[in-house]
Formats: sequence, structure tokens, C-alpha cells
Amino acid sequence: MPSRALHQAFLLLALGAAAAGCSVGTVLQRNGSAFFSTPAPVPHRIDKPFRADARLAVLWIGHASTLLQIDDKVILTDPVFTETIGQFSRRQVEPGLLPGALPHVDAVLISHMHFDHLSIGSLEMIQHKVGFLVVPQKGTVNIPDLAFETVELPTWTTFERGGLRITAVPVQHNGFRWGIDGEWMDTSFTGYVIEYHGITVYFGGDTAYAPDKFAATRARFPAIDLAILPISPINPRSLVKSTHVDPHEALLAFKLLGARWMVPIHYDTFVNATDAPGEVLRVLQGEMAAQGLTGEQVRVLGIGEQQVLVPR
Amino acid sequence: MRALVVVPLLAAALAGPARALAADTPAPPPTEPGANATALWAALQLIPSPEVVVWNGAARFGARWQVTPLLYSFGINRKLSRWRGFVVEPIVRHSGSSELHLSPEILAGTLAAGTERWILRSGLRSYFPLLYRGDYLSGSAGGSLVHAGDRNGVAFDGGLHTLGGFFGLRASYCPTPGLRITTVALEIRIF
Repeated sequence: MPSRALHQAFLLLALGAAAAGCSVGTVLQRNGSAFFSTPAPVPHRIDKPFRADARLAVLWIGHASTLLQIDDKVILTDPVFTETIGQFSRRQVEPGLLPGALPHVDAVLISHMHFDHLSIGSLEMIQHKVGFLVVPQKGTVNIPDLAFETVELPTWTTFERGGLRITAVPVQHNGFRWGIDGEWMDTSFTGYVIEYHGITVYFGGDTAYAPDKFAATRARFPAIDLAILPISPINPRSLVKSTHVDPHEALLAFKLLGARWMVPIHYDTFVNATDAPGEVLRVLQGEMAAQGLTGEQVRVLGIGEQQVLVPR
Repeated sequence: MRALVVVPLLAAALAGPARALAADTPAPPPTEPGANATALWAALQLIPSPEVVVWNGAARFGARWQVTPLLYSFGINRKLSRWRGFVVEPIVRHSGSSELHLSPEILAGTLAAGTERWILRSGLRSYFPLLYRGDYLSGSAGGSLVHAGDRNGVAFDGGLHTLGGFFGLRASYCPTPGLRITTVALEIRIF
């Protein structure tokens, strides 16, 4: 009951802010609308995501949540299965995979502490299916004592278990969860490179355009097969540019990383910007054409869609 | 010619064992987050929690503040220190913890003629997670010593907390004769 009352209080705040006409108000207002609407269903949701015919497969669960399979290893990125993030931002689309359908997950990767990437409720739901969880430096404090082991990786540190190698790589973002903790949570954001059986995957989490960081990652990992990169929020650009790539910058990052394929993420799942539904994808497609990239290289997945990139 | 044969063999011999020796690496030790009492944190602690105090059928509005000199978390990740002083991250508190607390309160008026407007509470309280390990909702229960003017009593309290404990509803009751007060507070608590 108290949480419902607080939700309503937040919505009133949202309406007030929206009346002031600021972009933050617009985001809050759209969240208010989404809160009272039903998330769109995912047609043909996969209930057995493990593919015996795949050496490399990726399934977009929504936002930054992806299920990666490299041979017999399963990796889950920034899992969010809850109805809301931060309690008041409700998802616009159902998760592309239900927690009950998850196979055993060898590793869960958390890129940073923001509510749309670190969902404690989601981790609680899947804790008994997870081998270990990886967080950026200082991130352990926001992971309560759950069934799995938590491994903290500072930048350029590698952790290996059962042949699965995970390296924290630099990105440009911020590491706070509540804002006030930004003063000391100054390293709790990262990207990851995952290596197994000769296949290399880059997970960008959430990042601004940081060419030096992408180039440094490529220098250490010159044969990245797949880059999973965020492409939004786009607007308000002046507000988000220092922490988020837009589609144009994401494609540049893809090229700098030298990856063979890119899967775009971090759009059209929650309201966290003033971008209109479908706008990000339209911009991406325009940018792909402008930069001479095709759908063979940039694999746009629907939520719940799985693609096998390297068949067995 | 011999070198052409030996070098690849040597390389293979070196590479082979290296690959075979590739083993699990120990997890790096976690970093304590180093939460500290910054100026911003201190300023935010000055935000009062509004409350209503009922005594002898009369209600008084008031405001309270709270500090946590010491907290032991049993919900925090097992790799980190369970102790905190003053600055407590929300999940560290609301995933399950016990704390010593101190709460000064000021009323808009006195409880009775001749009494102070200030109430001071100190005691022990425990938090337990109710939804998503306390990230969405947690409860709390505790007891405290109450001091108001020249009156002293014992109070019990319970609360519900959401949004990382930034907002909560706390009710307390002091059954001590002469200081039988009921308090309901909208608790605002940031770290």
C-alpha cells in the first residue's frame, strides 16, 4: 500500500514537472502514462533458449538484457525481468524471455548500478540458476547476499572460470545508483569482453562515445565477433551525450571495435528519454545507410528474438 | 633447416602446456565502497520527517531527524564489511539490518504545560526485506527510550519503507504512564 501511494505521489510530481515544459517532465509524464498501461506482449516468446545448433547465439530480452550462448556457456547481461525499474518506470514491452525459461546461466554481467541495468528483484528471481555474477569495481555493495558468488572486476581485470574469460573494459558512463552516492561510487561502471572457445563478444552496457576507450579495447581484443552496443537515449542530446551514445555514435563505436557483428540494445523497452517509440530504430536505419552498414553486420533483433550468428 | 623444425616444436610445446594450465582465476577481492559523510550527505540529513504526535487526545505536528551511529547488516553481500556508521547505503540497511538510532524531534507546541517542545529517542531497530530484498519494500520494528522534558518512557515502533528507504511510514507508541504518546511520521531518510 505505501508503495502504491508513493507511486501516485510521483505521478503527481511528473504532471507538475511536465506542465513546466522541461524534458525531464516529459520523461516523467511518459512514465506516468506507461505506468497505467499494459506492457505490449511478446509474440512467439522462446521457452527453450539454449540452442544445440549454435556456437554463438544472442537473444534480446529487452533494454540491456541479452542472453548470450557461446558453445555450452550461457551468459546473461544486465537482467531486468521486473515490471518496473526504480518502482515507477514501468516496462513498455514484456520481457523477451521469462525467468522460468532460463537455462543454467554460467555468468551474469552487470554493467553499472542504474536501476535499468541492476535489478535486484530480477537477480533474486534467477539466483538459483546463476553460477556467478560479475560487477564493476565497487559494485558489490549493491548486490545483497544472494545464492551466487559475486565477482568484482576493476577495469582491464580478467576473471576466468571453466574456460569462460571475462574482462572488464573501459566505457564512459557513471556509477551511482541514487545520485548522492556518485561522490564515492566513481568506478562502478564498465563494459565487458567475453571470450570462450575462440569466440569474443563485447558488451558495452551503457556508454557515451569514447573513441579512445573503444580503440584501447580493440588493441587488446583485435578479433571481436559480436559487439552488443546501446543506441539510445538520443534526446535530449545536451543532457545525455556525456553518458550515452546515439545510433550514429554507436555505429562509429562498432567500427572502432572492429567487430564482425553488432546487436543494438537499450531502446524501446522503458521510458528513459524523450525519444518517441520507434524513433531510435528509424534513426539507426538511416545512420546504417549513411555509414554503409547493412543488416548483415548490424543485427536488429526484436524483443524476444534470438539469432544464431555462428552455427555449429 | 633444423631451426625451422625446432622453433615450431618449441612454440607448440610452450603453447600446449600454457593452454592446458589455463585455469580458474581467483576472484579479485571486492572494494569497500568508501561511503562517507560528504557535504551533500550532511545537508540531506537536515531534511526533517514530518510527524503527528498524539498525547491525551490532543495532536501536535512535529518534525524529526534521525542518525545511525552504528548499523550491522545481515543482508549485505557476504564479501563486504557488515558494519556501517552514520552513512548507510539503502540496500545495506533494507536488505536486513539492525541499527542503533538517535532521533531528535521538535513539536509545534508542548505536550503539556511545562514540558519541553523537544523529544529525544534512542534505541535499537531492525529492518527486514519484504519485496526484492528490500529494494522495493522493507519493514522495520524496534524499541527506544523516550525523553521529553523531565519525563522518560519506553516506546515501540514499526515502519514500512520504500524507494530505498527514502520514504517510509513509521508509527510508534509509548505506553509509559505520564508519557503515553502515539506518533506517526512520514519518514524521509536519505542514506
